[in-house]
Amino acid sequence: MKTGSLLSNEKLIPCVWTIGLAVLWEGVAFILAEIVQDQMAGMRLPYLHDILITLFQNAGFLAGASATTLSRAILGFAAGAAAGFLLAIAMSLYSRLEKALYPYLLLSQMIPILGLAPVVVSIVRKAQIGPYTIAASDITRVIIAGYITFFPVATNMLSGLKSVDRDKRNLMYSYAAGKPTVYAKLMIPFCVPYLFTGMKIAAPLAITASILVDSLGAAEGIGYNLTYALYTGAYPVFWASVLCSAALGIAGYSVAAFFERICLPWKTAVQKKEAGV
Amino acid sequence: MTGKLQKAVKRLWKDAEGFVLPALFGILIIAFWEKKVFHALLGVKVLQLPIPSRITAVFLENAHRMAPDSLATLNTALSGMILGSLAGFAVALIATMFPKWGAGALTLLSAMNAVPVVALSPIMNVWFADAESAKTAVVAIVCMVAMAANAFRGMNDTKQFALDLMKSYAGSKRQIFLKLRLPNSVPYVFTGLRINVAAAMIGAIVSEYFSPASKGLGYGIRNRLSTGQFPLGWAYIIAASLIGIALYAAVAALERWATTHRQV
Repeated sequence: MKTGSLLSNEKLIPCVWTIGLAVLWEGVAFILAEIVQDQMAGMRLPYLHDILITLFQNAGFLAGASATTLSRAILGFAAGAAAGFLLAIAMSLYSRLEKALYPYLLLSQMIPILGLAPVVVSIVRKAQIGPYTIAASDITRVIIAGYITFFPVATNMLSGLKSVDRDKRNLMYSYAAGKPTVYAKLMIPFCVPYLFTGMKIAAPLAITASILVDSLGAAEGIGYNLTYALYTGAYPVFWASVLCSAALGIAGYSVAAFFERICLPWKTAVQKKEAGV
Repeated sequence: MTGKLQKAVKRLWKDAEGFVLPALFGILIIAFWEKKVFHALLGVKVLQLPIPSRITAVFLENAHRMAPDSLATLNTALSGMILGSLAGFAVALIATMFPKWGAGALTLLSAMNAVPVVALSPIMNVWFADAESAKTAVVAIVCMVAMAANAFRGMNDTKQFALDLMKSYAGSKRQIFLKLRLPNSVPYVFTGLRINVAAAMIGAIVSEYFSPASKGLGYGIRNRLSTGQFPLGWAYIIAASLIGIALYAAVAALERWATTHRQV
């Protein structure tokens, strides 16, 4: 009876899974290292506790690298999200602009955008950036993170702007509200959930983009740690960096979800009600 | 008479706008690029950002050399996508059979999805001796998670009244699954597939950046750019985009076929 009530706890099941996975990890690592006696065991799957020890031993170093990658990703994310937001509003204001650009927004979902990363890396590295001493890799990270954020935010925001009730708009017009008022009081507030949907898709992408630029030719950041540790054979550091980059990805999504909860408390309430919690 | 003509022209223009405006925009961008307006704005040399006419010429000249690379990437992306989507669907199926534990497992699985392709690729390179399998595994892992999450939602976002109706007919779990959950999941599965098309191409290309095997579009892009063959690098990017669009169109066609088929 007691275990039954414990198991019904929604939070407990992922915990059990996490512990189970950790045990499985240790077990497989043990089999690889001791029973199969795999030469590459240290790289294939080192003991989880070894990785965690490395993680804590190099905590400062890894945190610094993660902060570099994350801060550039956030900068790019903010720029890309702002641009996507503004473009969606411009497109909803001018239907000709929407008609001209919409096919390209659709197309952008089909092409592998990260294929462009090496191009940006090669262009930015060799271009003169003026008198400022901003590392080329920083600019590259911001550009690619922004670029990859831009499309999901613009598409989702636009679909939000298009799904505003005709009646509500007509009501606003019948009150002789001008376009700025309609947008400020109706359209934009209505679109906030759509905006967050786009941002939640984009946040992990922006971080992946930033990590990719690290490993394509930057001299710092978590992605650089990944490739550098791999070449020098420092496998525990490599795996610790993998954990860090996964944590960054989760952090990116969680931050977007956190702001969503702050901005749209009623949405989470509705979701909980629907889920029957 | 003239009024009628004006109206007809207006209507024609309204229909044509959807094609003409995007085409105009595209032509404008290509013209600016060709006439080096972007180069002047960004302070980039023509060497680094080749003009479209040069890229097109190089693309056509090297089509025969890019074909094997395109096929290699397409092969990796497709086989990884199929394997990963099937595995993801199986995971969703098992999770639906054991709902209490399944939902928790899916949460954990989506957390694992946060491991970026960049980190996944070297891990798979040591797990698999063969570079081709390593790349396919990267794509499969990326695709599995999106499909598992979408298919699970499809199997469980059933209408309450439909579920109640099935129960009131004394439908067994198996019947509920086959007649309600499975059909209900079809549109969700296609959403997963559409996400996976883009993810598979990105996964394949990024793992080719890091793969020891020297083939594929990702290798082509990175290798040509780092050796200064910028027009050829761009030609590779265009090939990658064309394949991405073709795959997406294929999935969209499949989706249309499957969803209209269902309504008979």
